[in-house]
Amino acid sequence: MDIFVQQLVNSLSVASVTILIGIGITLIFGLAGIVNFAHGEFLMVGGMATWFMVGAGMNFFVALVFAGLLVGALGFAAERCLFRFTLNRPMNGFIMSIGLSVILQHAVIRVFNEFQKSITDPIGLVWTIGGVDIVAMRAIVVAITAVIVAITYFGISRSRYGMALRASVSDRDTAELMGIPVRRYVTGVFIYGSLLAGIGGALMISLFPITPFTGSVIIIRGFAVSLIGGLGNVGGAVVGGLVLGLVDGLSAGYGYPEWTDAYSLVVMILILVLRPQGLLGGTLGPKAS
Amino acid sequence: MPMTDNSAGKVGAAPEGARARDRLALLTADNASVPLPAGVQAITAILLAALLIALPWLGLGYRFLSIAITTLYTAIGLYGLGLQFGQAGIMSVGHAALMGVGAYASAILSVQLGLGFWTSLPFAMVLSAIVGGVIGLPTLRVGGQHYIIITFCFCALFVIVLTNGGTFTGSATGLDVGSVTPLPGINFDKLSNNYYLVLAALFLALAATYLIGISRYGRTLRAIRENEQLARSVGINVDLHKLGVLMVSGLFAGLAGVLQLYYLRHISPTLFGAFPSLYLALMVMLGGARYLYGPLIGAVIVNFLPEVLNLDPVDSRIAYGVCLLLVILLLPGGVGAGIKNIYCALAGGFDKQGGGSNGRA
Repeated sequence: MDIFVQQLVNSLSVASVTILIGIGITLIFGLAGIVNFAHGEFLMVGGMATWFMVGAGMNFFVALVFAGLLVGALGFAAERCLFRFTLNRPMNGFIMSIGLSVILQHAVIRVFNEFQKSITDPIGLVWTIGGVDIVAMRAIVVAITAVIVAITYFGISRSRYGMALRASVSDRDTAELMGIPVRRYVTGVFIYGSLLAGIGGALMISLFPITPFTGSVIIIRGFAVSLIGGLGNVGGAVVGGLVLGLVDGLSAGYGYPEWTDAYSLVVMILILVLRPQGLLGGTLGPKAS
Repeated sequence: MPMTDNSAGKVGAAPEGARARDRLALLTADNASVPLPAGVQAITAILLAALLIALPWLGLGYRFLSIAITTLYTAIGLYGLGLQFGQAGIMSVGHAALMGVGAYASAILSVQLGLGFWTSLPFAMVLSAIVGGVIGLPTLRVGGQHYIIITFCFCALFVIVLTNGGTFTGSATGLDVGSVTPLPGINFDKLSNNYYLVLAALFLALAATYLIGISRYGRTLRAIRENEQLARSVGINVDLHKLGVLMVSGLFAGLAGVLQLYYLRHISPTLFGAFPSLYLALMVMLGGARYLYGPLIGAVIVNFLPEVLNLDPVDSRIAYGVCLLLVILLLPGGVGAGIKNIYCALAGGFDKQGGGSNGRA
């Protein structure tokens, strides 16, 4: 039982990172129809930036904020210079994002190197609660994610901007007619999603070592999470992240560890085929061309 | 496209600024359905064939020829992808896995049953086609972007299965095969003979693509690409055609995979994973999926660019990431579209020829 609880906490912290990237993807894909393959690279860049700043002696939590801002700026640049021009040709946007991800990956290798990087645990505490050892940093990762999810969720479901955002997702043309600056929302969502990816990267490197190739591994889980939950649906992304995180964490603990990745892929394919609108329902995304 | 004709007509009278803009529009116009004169098509084909056949005799060295072989078998796989994306509009980012199915089928047949190149080839191709069709089943239910993710998952899953397959698939180290069974008088251990083998297969792929492009079948596929609902309503069996084109694409991929296997003589799971698949998608977009020579152009650019620029692998990756961005932003139809438009601009616009739909650069 103790081991089970420990696995559960570990899975939750892994799921947190996946949820952060999933929310970014679900918003960007759901609103702009951009399949941004470089999103995983954004996360990796966030992690690498954190590694660099912590290595230069900065406090981890300050570095986390800077990593988020840096990647947010990266997202802004990418949207303004690249994706803005392919909004009506999603397939071209997708291919460009592959190009961008190749560039970012190798730019990081060029600036640093291709070896894995890690930082020492910024808290370095282990709490023992009822006989269960919990690494404090993992709990903090879960807490930070929970706060971000809450802000995002209520921002979208309660605020005026969230309402405009939802209007733009469900019917772009009508939203535009109602005076909602849809393009600006696309940019805003892109920046926000990238910011979350940057924070996710910082949190990730506090848990595991990362390499310049981490982004391309995590991106597919990000898509899985957003599609499983339903595109454009923040609550769905959380559910998707938990499903995947638990499948992963528990299969690593109990099943055949070498098949860990396969379980989540199979779950994902099944959900995509059987319920294309996702578990909680979402938009199907703008019509693919 | 009527658009092209209109802007061509305006060029003469327009002031300087507008003229430059029209020129740019001419260069970036979507011209895949504009037919070229039959003579031009024939001359291009003959020149290209002559160049490719003469290549081993140009004395460019062993390394050049090796890259050329890689380029050609990649191009064969790309023709499959070009067919499904360019004609039917179904993109996949798991195409390397489909090539892997062919390559592994052939390698396993060779290791377990001792079948050689020629005998295992049909099995490998048919298996790839079947797998292509099976992965294609979700396209009947979900949209294009969902399908992309599904193919990507399939690709990742395929690598995991191969890696965990024990001695049957050779795990992470992969499998080895002998050389291609010699035909009377032709020994395929010689690099140039291997080149001609791959070249012959490429010509087959080109011919098949051309014939599909001008046939009724190709027109049906394009109708589905342009408007699936409409195609369905005029009585086209959309589902069957979609699966059909994915299976044809699988055949090409199987052929390419087996050629790759017998050229490298050793295969491992990483050759067919996510990265090679993404690069295939990249090449086909770079070259232009809707053009007869587009996939070949894409393969040539991606394989030869690092050589020509003499870059180390990291810089060359960055370079073609940048190339890709530029091509997509400036030439959404790919380099093939650019070349065709330049030709058209040089030839002084077109005379539109009938309603023929064999218009492929």
